Amino acid sequence: METNNQTLRWASKFPELGTEPIPVEPCIAPEFYEREKDRVFARTWLKVGRVEEISRVGDYKVKKIHFAKTSVILIHGKDGVIRGFHNTCSHRGNKVIVETGEETYGRNKAAVVTCRFHGWVYDGKGQLAQVPEEERFASSFDKSAEGLTPVHTDVWEGFIFINLAEKPDRSLKEYLGGMGQHLAGYPFAEMSQVFSYNTLLDCNWKIALDAFSEAYHVSTIHAGSFPNVFSSGLSDVELFGEHRTTGICLSLNSKPTPVAAIANSITGASLVSQRGSSMLPPGVNPNRHNDFSFELSVVFPNILIHVSEGIWFTHQFWPVAHNKTRWEGKYYVKPAKTNSERWATEFAQVLQRNAWLEDTATMEDTHAALESGAKQHMFLQDEEILLRHGYKVLEQYLEQ
Amino acid sequence: MTSQNLLPEEFKTLEPLVAVWALPTQNERQQRRIASTRPALKSFYDTMLQQLPAILKKLDEFPLDQLPQKESRLMTLALSLAEVAPHIELYGGDPKVPYAFDEARFVAEHGQHAN
Repeated sequence: METNNQTLRWASKFPELGTEPIPVEPCIAPEFYEREKDRVFARTWLKVGRVEEISRVGDYKVKKIHFAKTSVILIHGKDGVIRGFHNTCSHRGNKVIVETGEETYGRNKAAVVTCRFHGWVYDGKGQLAQVPEEERFASSFDKSAEGLTPVHTDVWEGFIFINLAEKPDRSLKEYLGGMGQHLAGYPFAEMSQVFSYNTLLDCNWKIALDAFSEAYHVSTIHAGSFPNVFSSGLSDVELFGEHRTTGICLSLNSKPTPVAAIANSITGASLVSQRGSSMLPPGVNPNRHNDFSFELSVVFPNILIHVSEGIWFTHQFWPVAHNKTRWEGKYYVKPAKTNSERWATEFAQVLQRNAWLEDTATMEDTHAALESGAKQHMFLQDEEILLRHGYKVLEQYLEQ
Repeated sequence: MTSQNLLPEEFKTLEPLVAVWALPTQNERQQRRIASTRPALKSFYDTMLQQLPAILKKLDEFPLDQLPQKESRLMTLALSLAEVAPHIELYGGDPKVPYAFDEARFVAEHGQHAN
């Protein structure tokens, strides 16, 4: 393959990814989605929470996992271990925890969960601890064998992951591989204030993920919220197996608006301010360029983790159908110590929300237009290399 | 207009803004901004911006989350400015975010927390 080293720097670095157009079928075909569910989502590690969400013994979180038609209880056991179980009672299959939404939180000091239907009690290891009127079940009923159905669950840097496979082919640590090492040591827990958004998008999950996985869109989509703020080029693209990462840089010549200038002088809670690198792991912005803004890392298949000085944020895309995706955006900052910091943090967060509203604007239109069948391929430029890698990895999974 | 003593003495000129903009939650501030006219946003922004440094200085006389009632009202006015400022400074006065997703569909899980 011939590439122009001046303009196709990432194609030169990663010739195995090619430069050809990408078929649109993976984004719109219902059959493709069915295969993806089986061969990707049902067998990879998926982030479902943070340890801070269930930090005390007995805290639990229930998360709906639509593509798998299940919901998973994550419970912080008496031994300090966080375990995951299908939210299905062994008795007659009722949901053990009655859900109040996509994510349901609760706490039981004894670290047990109790089914509302007939009062069956399960402990933090999923074992069936108590059955009311147990003597009325036949002698063939063996309580010790009828615990909750476990889900493989592990924690990396405070992120709780599950794997729905009967037997995962790799541990979480092996699965994350170089990506796990790349972001290891970042003080995620220090930024303990979180602003969370979610919505249900009428588009394929990859259309949503792709829209956040390049900076080519910034000068058009963010002409409102981030005018002339970011340079469009990527820095230090690295591939780690299924996963991928890049730095996103600021252009340093933009002048902040009046209120932004005041907010930036109080707190570093906005991406639109020059950022330091005191908390970045050594592999992130390795040359410590002073125009670095944040690291954009895609952990396959469905989460983006961004780290920056004093800020980190995630976008996650949960497939609900071939044309429906639940998006979750979470923005983490250090808790304010003063009232003026509280104000400046709000300004930064509002601006970020508006930028996400701009990002999200394109996705449903893209899906609707692709479903017309007018185009069979999409064209990716060199700075959209992360998307190209994503489709390559997906292809490998589906061929397995 | 006679002072109703709603804000600290030195900020009494901002009292006419209290009824509309001193709102305790981000969701309410967002809704008020969306429902406002361009001239109303501009007027609120211009009035508040002048006083913003003094407001923040005043608020920092108190520990975080321990604001007396009048200062707490002043805080929510300042937070409304945080909500409004991008619309004046970046979006040409448009009460909505131009070329953006429907804000009503964007669920803010933190949006109903006071202050």
